[in-house]
Amino acid sequence: LPCAQGAHPHHLSLFSPLAVTSEQIEHLHRRFKQLSRDQLTIRKENFDSIPDLEFNPIRGKIVHAFFDKRNLRQESDGLADEINFEDFLTIMSYFRPIEMNMDEEQLDHFRKKKLKFLFHMYDSDHDGKITLQEYRNVVEELLSGNPHLEKESARSIADGAMMEAASICVGQMGPDQVYEGITFEDFLKMWQGIDIETKMHVRFLNMETIAHCY
Amino acid sequence: VPARSGGAMQPPAASPGPAASGAELLRWQWREVQAPCLVAAWILVASLAKIVFHLSRKVTSVVPESCLLILLGLGLGGIVLAVAKKAEYQLEPNMFFLFLLPPIVLDSGYFMPSRLFFDNIGAILTYAVVGTLWNSFATGAALWGLHQAGLMDPGVEAGLMDFLLFGSLISAVDPVAVLAVFEEVHVNETLFIIVFGESLLNDAVTVVLYKVFNSFVELGPAHIHAMDYVKGVASFFLVSLGGTAVGLLFAFLLALITRFTKRVRIIEPLFVFLLAYVAYLAAEMVSLSSILAVTFCGICCKKYVEANISQKSRTTVKYTMKTLASSSETIIFMFLGISAVDTSKWAWDTALVLGTLFFILLFRAVGVVLQTYVLNRFRLIPLDRIDQVVMSYGGLRGAVAFALVILLDRAKVKAKDYFVATTIVVVFFTVIVQGLTIKPLVTWLKVKRSDHHKPTLNEELHEHAFDHILAAVEDIVGHHGYHYWRDKWEQFDKKYLSQLLMRKSAYRLRDEIWDVYYKLNIRDAISFVDQGGHVLSAAKLALPSMPSRTSMSESSVTNLLRESGSGACLDLQVIDTVRSRRDKEDAAMHHVLRGSLYKPRRRYKASYSRHFISPDKQERQDKEIFRQNMKRRLETFKSTKHNICSSKSKARLKEKGRKKASAPQPFPFPSQKNISLTSDASNGKTHRNVPWQEAAPVLVMVSSEEEESDSSETEREDDEGIVFVAQATDEILQRKTASGSLDVCPSPCIIPPSPTLAEKELPWKGNQADLAVYVSSETTKIVPVDMKKAWNQSISSLESIASPPGIESGSQHRRFACPVLEEQSQSVSQVMPEQTSCFQFPSHVSKSGRSQSDSSPDSAEQQELQPLMAVEDQGRMLPSTEPKWLMFNRAGHL
Repeated sequence: LPCAQGAHPHHLSLFSPLAVTSEQIEHLHRRFKQLSRDQLTIRKENFDSIPDLEFNPIRGKIVHAFFDKRNLRQESDGLADEINFEDFLTIMSYFRPIEMNMDEEQLDHFRKKKLKFLFHMYDSDHDGKITLQEYRNVVEELLSGNPHLEKESARSIADGAMMEAASICVGQMGPDQVYEGITFEDFLKMWQGIDIETKMHVRFLNMETIAHCY
Repeated sequence: VPARSGGAMQPPAASPGPAASGAELLRWQWREVQAPCLVAAWILVASLAKIVFHLSRKVTSVVPESCLLILLGLGLGGIVLAVAKKAEYQLEPNMFFLFLLPPIVLDSGYFMPSRLFFDNIGAILTYAVVGTLWNSFATGAALWGLHQAGLMDPGVEAGLMDFLLFGSLISAVDPVAVLAVFEEVHVNETLFIIVFGESLLNDAVTVVLYKVFNSFVELGPAHIHAMDYVKGVASFFLVSLGGTAVGLLFAFLLALITRFTKRVRIIEPLFVFLLAYVAYLAAEMVSLSSILAVTFCGICCKKYVEANISQKSRTTVKYTMKTLASSSETIIFMFLGISAVDTSKWAWDTALVLGTLFFILLFRAVGVVLQTYVLNRFRLIPLDRIDQVVMSYGGLRGAVAFALVILLDRAKVKAKDYFVATTIVVVFFTVIVQGLTIKPLVTWLKVKRSDHHKPTLNEELHEHAFDHILAAVEDIVGHHGYHYWRDKWEQFDKKYLSQLLMRKSAYRLRDEIWDVYYKLNIRDAISFVDQGGHVLSAAKLALPSMPSRTSMSESSVTNLLRESGSGACLDLQVIDTVRSRRDKEDAAMHHVLRGSLYKPRRRYKASYSRHFISPDKQERQDKEIFRQNMKRRLETFKSTKHNICSSKSKARLKEKGRKKASAPQPFPFPSQKNISLTSDASNGKTHRNVPWQEAAPVLVMVSSEEEESDSSETEREDDEGIVFVAQATDEILQRKTASGSLDVCPSPCIIPPSPTLAEKELPWKGNQADLAVYVSSETTKIVPVDMKKAWNQSISSLESIASPPGIESGSQHRRFACPVLEEQSQSVSQVMPEQTSCFQFPSHVSKSGRSQSDSSPDSAEQQELQPLMAVEDQGRMLPSTEPKWLMFNRAGHL
């Protein structure tokens, strides 16, 4: 397994101090090969073969996140064409559950990591801000599952949310003040009410029943 | 209770009787009304007691209400005992199970946060089923051991079965008690839902176990065969699953019925209660678990019922349910206290009492720790030690246990009196001692509390996105976990269930995000109006630097004065300027009235109908406030991205650039708002925003007009277009007046503030005359009452401020008009001639507008009504000019 050795230091830091058992990685690797059709890398098209993903309204954004270099390597930017298993694991590591023995600092770090991932998902033009337009896109996609809700309402919701974000993050704004978009700091503020560290996780890292049906 | 109460109220009850001979003037009919009267009296006493408890915040913050109620019950019971020489008004099991328990269970089921409940269903079920079984058996067996060891009084005649029976009834954590305590403690929601969900579900387990053991006891230990044990286990599953099934069936029925109640809104709440109760009775009838039936009926029907029934019915359901549940709870606790005084039913055995107390605490703690240990291996968010302590300690026993022990048959269960005494002690101990100490304990252990803030729209959006992300990741990983199934269920629900169970209109609009958005705005708007509804207050008017609304209303008052003062003016110029100014102010006045004083306008016919509630006044007001508020929020919110995204095509962008260059003047206005979307009436009016908005929005408006023309759903506004162009010029005048006054008089109170300017187009839909009349008549009605001070102030300010800018503005607007007009003509070239002519003869425009409206009284009426009415229909018909705008429209629609 290419990743089991943890070639990249940052990669290691993602996992440590939470050791991932080789068994779990094996599971993921099997799935990876399934998706990539035994290639070394996954391309975007590979995700199209997942039948359940089809109904997901924000499918595009999620798949995009897998190829977002910001999620893969901390310093780089842009979009990758294909990802290898290591990258795949890196993305998956964002969805790890917290562990009992984490201290405050680790928890905070953990939380920020997860939020950063989400933030990147919203911030599609990589400028470090979720602009209104980007927000609208997300909301539109989110609501696209309901054919009866028009685009306009999605927009107004996004606008309302943006206003709310502005009022949360900036407080009372002067008449000339302009809220450019949600920065990551603002994003953190907005998520204060949600215990993301206790929610953003998938049971894939101790799964017994990985589906082999595809 | 009522049935047995004969002797209690002796003085009044005994006195009538024999005195009656011959024709009676009045007859004492105590016996006829006795039963309901006593019920009412008890409820009254309990409710009054609640008021008294809550008089002091200190007391209720330390002592849970349930404790106080029990103590009150003890006191009342003592009084009754002293007066009547025998205990009256006991908690009757039948009454408890048929009348008092269902409301509480329904309330907790219906208002159960279902998402949270199902998220933790595994843990809840484990604790409820395994935990309760463990508690029953362990407690029963341990007590039996105690008995065998000879530590108990020999009077306690009980075998293993009796103790197991007792163990089963005493091990039920009581939802009433738990809810009463935990609601005040505010632990974090996961902990709460686990404790509460467990207490709700384990009642069912307890009742089943109780019945099984009871039948065993009644059979007698000698006659129990192996087959009976099997039957016992089977009946356990049958009863609980059957109860759940009954609940689901009735939930389905209920949802389906409420789908068709559109014309009989008034009985909607009735269905909710009736069907839930019928579910309870039906389950009870076939001896399935009625608690489970009601719980699941409540949990599952809510989503559909809430979507189907009207807002009013929703509120009614909520309040009625809460009222019923809370009075049931009150009565239960009070009667617990009263029942405790009846010493005739007691038989005290210290060993049994202490043993029970010790064992239930011990085994609960052991059970929780063991189960949590197992659960934590599967749970992704482990329950930590502190949670476990709170869970163990939060196992309050309550009325269910008491009712069950009273139900025992003394002939079969010889030790009933001992059990009753023990149960009472246990209930009192857990409710009072544990209830009192749990709050300090939670504080001391620093249990994660729930920060109950209101849900924000962003949070809702993120959580929603989040669910999808998690489901997607599970898909990608190929793991069919919880999120996968939840996602699947939601898809199924959306495709079939909701379609079947929801009204078409409700189904279409049903979306959690939208719901939150809507609710949030309504709440926000109401709070805004609550605080800021007095925009017209004298104090605010007095401030010269007051922004927008205030100065607006002031100038309107000014204008009204002037209007009433000067009958005729021959100077055309003056008429011109005054006219436009007045129009503007009328509009402003109208707007202010509309925003803040909606009530006087909405006079409803005093009508009475038993079967229908008159049209939803409140709802309309809500909508109105909602729109109003959104407007306000939009004004304060500015994002440069707005403009950029509004004009999509490159061509438009270019155009924009050019226009920016051509009309840069308005930018410096500090009060100008960047967003040009404040119209809240129909679309046609929004067009008129164009001229007097600042540069960028002008272009935005133009471009969005174009946008609209290709994206609009309906194309039948062609003639409207002409109308609005004519008015657009009218608006140009307005704007010029505005800017003119600005230039001449920099005093901030004169600056026509943009929000109101932006909004003012409403009343102008075509006929100014009508509107003017309308508005002024309204104001004369209102001014004396509400704005006396404001009125006076504006009189004083009239000469100093109002007139000079008004006169000046005529020339001013000429100076500025040209670029704007050019701009206009560039974008809408064919209307240019009209515009110029209108510009030069504005009075003519208004006249023609009036005559136009006169010729078509229908439309005139509509137009007049329009600003007053919620935009329901209008919004649908007209295409949107500006995206933003639709949100009001949408609200109105909703």
